[in-house]
Amino acid sequence: MSDQPRDDERELVERAKRDPRQFGALYDRHFQQIYRFVYSRVREQTAAEDVTSEIFMKALKAMPRYQDTGRPFAAWLYQISVNAIADRYRTLRPSSPLDDFHDLSIAGPPLEDVAAHRDEIRRIWALVEVLPVQQKTALVLKFQEDMKIEDIAAAMGKTPGAVKLLIHRGVSRLRDEADTLRPAE
Amino acid sequence: MTMQHDPELDDILQDDELMHVADLLRQARMTDPPLDDAFRSALRRQLMNRAWGMRERKAPWWSSLFGPNSLAWAGAAVGVVLIATVVVFMAVSPSTGGFNQLVITSPISDQSAVRLEQPILVRFNQAMDHASTEAAVQVAPATTVAFSWNANTLAVQPTSGPLAPNTQYQVTIGPGAKTAAGQQLAAPQTITFVTQPPALPTPSPTPPTPAVTPPPRGVLTAEHLLTSAAGGVSNAQWSPDSSTVYFVSSKGALESVPAAGGNVKVLVPDGVTSVAIAPDGARVAFISGGKIEILDLKMLVITSELTTTPAPINVGWTKEGVEWTAADGVYTAGVDTPVKVASLPTGAAINVISFAPDGAHLAYTQDQSLKVLDVATGKSSSLGLAEAKFLGWSPDGTGVIYSGAQAVVASDVAGKTISTLPAGEPSWSSQDEILLGSDTDLFEVRPDGSGLTRLQEGTYHAPMWAPNGTAFTYSRGGALFTASAPPPAPRSSELGAASLVVNAFMQARKGGQVDKANSYLDDNGKKLYSGSSGVLNLLVTGDPIFSRFYVLTESITGSQPDTAQFVVRIVLAHDKLDVSTYEETLTLVRTQGSNVFLIDRASAGPLLKLGKGPQVVSVEVSTGAVKVTFDSDLMRATVASGLIILDSKGNQVGDAPAYANRTVTFRGLDLKPGATYKLVVLPTVQDVGDINMAAEYDLTFAGPSDSHGSDKEKDQTASPSPQASPGAVRSTPPSS
Repeated sequence: MSDQPRDDERELVERAKRDPRQFGALYDRHFQQIYRFVYSRVREQTAAEDVTSEIFMKALKAMPRYQDTGRPFAAWLYQISVNAIADRYRTLRPSSPLDDFHDLSIAGPPLEDVAAHRDEIRRIWALVEVLPVQQKTALVLKFQEDMKIEDIAAAMGKTPGAVKLLIHRGVSRLRDEADTLRPAE
Repeated sequence: MTMQHDPELDDILQDDELMHVADLLRQARMTDPPLDDAFRSALRRQLMNRAWGMRERKAPWWSSLFGPNSLAWAGAAVGVVLIATVVVFMAVSPSTGGFNQLVITSPISDQSAVRLEQPILVRFNQAMDHASTEAAVQVAPATTVAFSWNANTLAVQPTSGPLAPNTQYQVTIGPGAKTAAGQQLAAPQTITFVTQPPALPTPSPTPPTPAVTPPPRGVLTAEHLLTSAAGGVSNAQWSPDSSTVYFVSSKGALESVPAAGGNVKVLVPDGVTSVAIAPDGARVAFISGGKIEILDLKMLVITSELTTTPAPINVGWTKEGVEWTAADGVYTAGVDTPVKVASLPTGAAINVISFAPDGAHLAYTQDQSLKVLDVATGKSSSLGLAEAKFLGWSPDGTGVIYSGAQAVVASDVAGKTISTLPAGEPSWSSQDEILLGSDTDLFEVRPDGSGLTRLQEGTYHAPMWAPNGTAFTYSRGGALFTASAPPPAPRSSELGAASLVVNAFMQARKGGQVDKANSYLDDNGKKLYSGSSGVLNLLVTGDPIFSRFYVLTESITGSQPDTAQFVVRIVLAHDKLDVSTYEETLTLVRTQGSNVFLIDRASAGPLLKLGKGPQVVSVEVSTGAVKVTFDSDLMRATVASGLIILDSKGNQVGDAPAYANRTVTFRGLDLKPGATYKLVVLPTVQDVGDINMAAEYDLTFAGPSDSHGSDKEKDQTASPSPQASPGAVRSTPPSS
């Protein structure tokens, strides 16, 4: 069965490989998600702009060598992003408070539960920030970017099994450290 | 709480508590982070600039044999055999089982002094596959180009306007090019040529004469009617090659007429409002019926139609394609939907007037104020006082002209006034001359206000220069006419006389004529160039050879005795390919009572290898402005901090320069007469191929003189500062 969006993307990628001037279409398509991902990691607009520029410049330069492995093109961009952010982290740590960025206005539960629930989410994401970098990256790509395990593996340069392990360890550590958290009724 | 089920997590977590943590993680939806639209569009532009450079530099294995970077003599020995051949024969792929001959020619191959305002024509003797051939074209120096075809001829047109002056171009058709039959070329072919100097030509190398007589002024030539459409015409625009004039009739029809005269052709029958010719001259974008349409001018078919909301108002072009304004901002065509690249200010109603020629700025009015929007940053600058009226752009898009109180004001796009000119209807030429039309006269004046000349009496409304800077259109009684204006005002007589000496001296050296060259030196000069004890070599012997020279800057620097200073660049070549260059600063003196300048002092700068990044090929110093032209298209982002002007105390003067069409322009300067300034070009300046300047380039020059010649404000001194260059300073030219 044909997957039209993937076919469209393959076509755009092939065009950009043949002629770098066609890269603009891929940029238009993926800028927002990459910028959002970078911002979520560096938490500062100027730094996010710097890193995003670096990512797309690297992607453009490497475009002729890009190999379609069956994974979404975005996975490759995330791979460049993960490396660029890792480079950035060597000298920069995010400092902005988490709730600047994560929307905690959750729909659904009764009003009286909302405040407590928000607090839980805020705390859990605050704990994510202090996880080892690899675990944190895997969790962000899974829970924030909603990526498939195999795509995360491609982005992080690991096997799917290793990514699963990172996610399991990361979530387990969050549970252990947030010992007041209990399943919602 | 219900979350979307993720089987992958079931597999990994398998525990209620862990699943609960996972749910919490997924519930924190991300809000949109703060994002500056200007950053998004600026990054896109930067990427596209680089992409153009990559495309040109797409270098297969063979390129290393031909690129000046690595012109290893052994490789060049092979490559030059091919390059030197004007008509080349290429074997197509042996897999075809036979040999067809593909002949590539160019009317400018191996020529010197090639005119700047023309495309590079590459002719094939058989039909080619356009896509693969275009992809196989490589241009050095790094230049962003557009392609168009006419039968089997490929026109390669720099998108940044005319060719760079004083530059050797190498246009290589790589083996990726295929014929229409699908046969791949077996070997790359290169067309090489050298362009002429910029606007002010160097005098011909004839023996010195006392003075240059200014050519007669005040006479227009080739004046003739183009069209006399009822109701008049609007939106008159020239094709980039200055061969065709496009206009909109009173009925809203888009029409064209050859500039040389001929039949008017109706391209679009009605409904046309805003019109913009693409930089490659192959397409025209216009607004009709609330849609943006793009017409292929060769096929005369609409190739693209964009329906946008809000409705488009004005249309223009950038290097990346068409752009337009709507009520709320500036847009470009995205992949699926238009992309907003800049927002217009909110508040009072806005009247959008015009895109700059390079698409980087937009003129509009709001609250009766005239403003210019920088599309990349989204910031606006005000021009003049209330009710100032927009009148036009400079061809490079860095200058703007508008009406002030009883006068015309020329300013930069940030609103800094360059000069105040007499009232009139202006048009700014590529040769930096401004026509001022009116009911009664046609004047010509430089942007700095100097050289005001009445060209003709009579009615000349809405003059519009052609890109070649010599022809222009104007309207009279509703009809559209064209004419040619005389060249810019001549240089001062002192400078003209000194120029002739310099040219004759350099020609003699190039030709190996020692006695003749010595005749242009005084005793001091002869000592400097004497073979035994001198510090400079009169002749360049051996290989590479003295290939050509050009004057980079020239000026009168003193009187009693008259003194002139020239910076001459000497280019050395190996087998017709420029490989290195160095500069000599010559000081000429004309003793009292004598009509002849002689070279009294000289010094040489360091030897620089060519092909190591962008090069400065022209520097023009005039009142209040310095223009530095490069041979390559530059990465715009590297320019603002990459070029500075310092005064004699090392303090920076002027603001960050503007960049357009390979030229970096400092405007709004206030250079003091006789004071020394230094232009510094840092190695951080990068061309569109990602190559940095090989080394810092310094040029010292004097502020405007106030005591010499009618053209005193035009010509200034400049000389390289060798001690500022990295590495050892070379005091003698290479001789072998």
